[in-house]
Amino acid sequence: MRWLVTTLLVIAMFCFGVGVYHAAGLLKASHAGVQRPTQVSAPSLPGTMYLVQGGAIYRLRNGQFTQITADDGWVQVAVNAAGSQLAAVERHTNYSDLYLLSTGGRVIAQLTHNGPGSRPENNHWSFYPRFSPDGSTLFYDYDPKDPFNTYRVDLAIYSSPSNPGSSSSVKWTEPNQYTGGDVDPQPLSAGSLVYSKFSIDTSFKVASQVWFQARPGSAGVALTDPADGCGQPAVSHDGTMIAMVCTKGSNQTSELDVATFDPTARSLGSITTLVPSGTMASPTFSPDGKTIAYLAPAVAGGSFQLWTVAPAPGSSPRELTTDLGLDSLSAPAWAA
Amino acid sequence: MPRVWIVVVGFVLAGLTGLGAYFAPLFQTAASSTTSSVPGAIQDLNPVQAPTQPFTVLLLGSDDDSKFPPDRINTQSMILVRVDPVSKQATMLSIPRDLWVQIPGQGMGKISTAYQTGGPDAAINAVESNFKVHIDDYVWIGLNGLVKLINQLGGVDVQVTNPVMDDYYPADLSSTGNPYDYYRVAVLPGATHLDGVHALEYVRSRHGDIRGDFARSERQQQLLLAIKAEASHLNIADLPTIAAAFNGEVKTSISLDRLRQLMAVAGSFNGSNIHRVVLVPPYTSEGFAAGQDVVFPDWNQILPLVHQSFP
Repeated sequence: MRWLVTTLLVIAMFCFGVGVYHAAGLLKASHAGVQRPTQVSAPSLPGTMYLVQGGAIYRLRNGQFTQITADDGWVQVAVNAAGSQLAAVERHTNYSDLYLLSTGGRVIAQLTHNGPGSRPENNHWSFYPRFSPDGSTLFYDYDPKDPFNTYRVDLAIYSSPSNPGSSSSVKWTEPNQYTGGDVDPQPLSAGSLVYSKFSIDTSFKVASQVWFQARPGSAGVALTDPADGCGQPAVSHDGTMIAMVCTKGSNQTSELDVATFDPTARSLGSITTLVPSGTMASPTFSPDGKTIAYLAPAVAGGSFQLWTVAPAPGSSPRELTTDLGLDSLSAPAWAA
Repeated sequence: MPRVWIVVVGFVLAGLTGLGAYFAPLFQTAASSTTSSVPGAIQDLNPVQAPTQPFTVLLLGSDDDSKFPPDRINTQSMILVRVDPVSKQATMLSIPRDLWVQIPGQGMGKISTAYQTGGPDAAINAVESNFKVHIDDYVWIGLNGLVKLINQLGGVDVQVTNPVMDDYYPADLSSTGNPYDYYRVAVLPGATHLDGVHALEYVRSRHGDIRGDFARSERQQQLLLAIKAEASHLNIADLPTIAAAFNGEVKTSISLDRLRQLMAVAGSFNGSNIHRVVLVPPYTSEGFAAGQDVVFPDWNQILPLVHQSFP
């Protein structure tokens, strides 16, 4: 009996020690766990939104997420204005390609064939697909090779008919060399383009500006000041407002701004700050122009969540998700 | 001794053993630090007082992949950090890896090669003698150490200012395969969350940027602030997991007590009170010396700048 009690006590002490070990682990600062969108719900939004997490595209409709592609390197989904077709990028090591997809995630056509090349530098990137307002043209980024310097890789904006049978393409922009190039194409209904352009001055200071261009190859016009550091423009469906992320010279924080836009005068109205300080990314207008969706962490260093805010001064941001690590460089694609 | 006390002592010992096992990786890492200033174990769990005196730390980062024999490692990144806990001001000064300087006991050379000949002490001597500053401590980290640190933190958020494109990024992290292989990197602009490997790509890429190594220096400082932001969420219970992950990929002269002191003040600093300096032209100029591309310092401009922040 005595040996039995002793044995039980020793076992209890061992279990206590193991328990203390695990209890110490529980004191660790908890990093907010990231869940799959299909494991959560969100407040209902008008229309249908497409978002990206972990290389998969998810559809948000009536507050419910549905995964429509496999976790297979999918990023940067876009939807046409009719809401009937998607374009997205499938990213691989050394290259990426554009695809046309159904709204259910089925591949309709592979639009580019950028790799795999025999050597890494022989491949190409394609990013940022965006449908023109009438859906007939697809704008996107592509990295043309510089025959005089293999180190130079600057993205330029191109357009092609969104009909998969067509292989013609038009180069729209000429990026400043060794800046990484022009990004974020936003086609306008008049056939013109808004996008982000980068420059580096002689003191090696990087500036990002929202740029307007009337037609392919034409001289563009800067819509924002270099000191404002604005980029990631989103144009409302009626073409009268531009939402954008502005860093104001910081590479730690950014703000979400909105301004009226006059494409005829090629200028912005006064800029209103909607969300003053944080880590803002990838704004998108709702189809009716009454709401802006964007991605940002709730706290510094947190994972990116879906937020909405009205494009008016004094509006309060609304956090729609709390535990999704959404791909912040894949702007929400929002259709009616 | 009454039996009941024997049982109590047994449970206390079992609990201490569990606690010791949990924190063992931390103490093992401390024991492998390169100075003898590592204090005993138990007192490190006591509350600490935040430091009150300014201190300067030299941060060193090396490509320690299989291209380089362990005794022939350079420092690809050198960042001098001065923290004033009272004024709540900090300065980060990035030293160009190709800076052409007098290396004590070695002659003229790139400052990145000082570490190769004498480890952290030689790197510290080279910085102290050229920049006329006093360095209290150092931290050295290798490629895998940085990746593991960031992964243990759950990744970092950074604001990418412009596309970071590199068609010749070294594929040297894998222990197998050819360390001279390379692959393409495209880090797109905007706020983004990066895991360890992608964060390393972000701070090492240089071929597609007109600013070359200066752009890397700027991004390295940015990453340090992002790591600080993530680390501010940590507490002492997180340290063993991080220490276990390092597995020799981090060397430091900072003791456990000192580390806890630094963690205590880290929350006081954010982007607005951290002054960042990169020695771009006109402080430096690119040139050619001893058959290699180098960066020449203009000490007449650098030293006044340094003495403002590192008095």
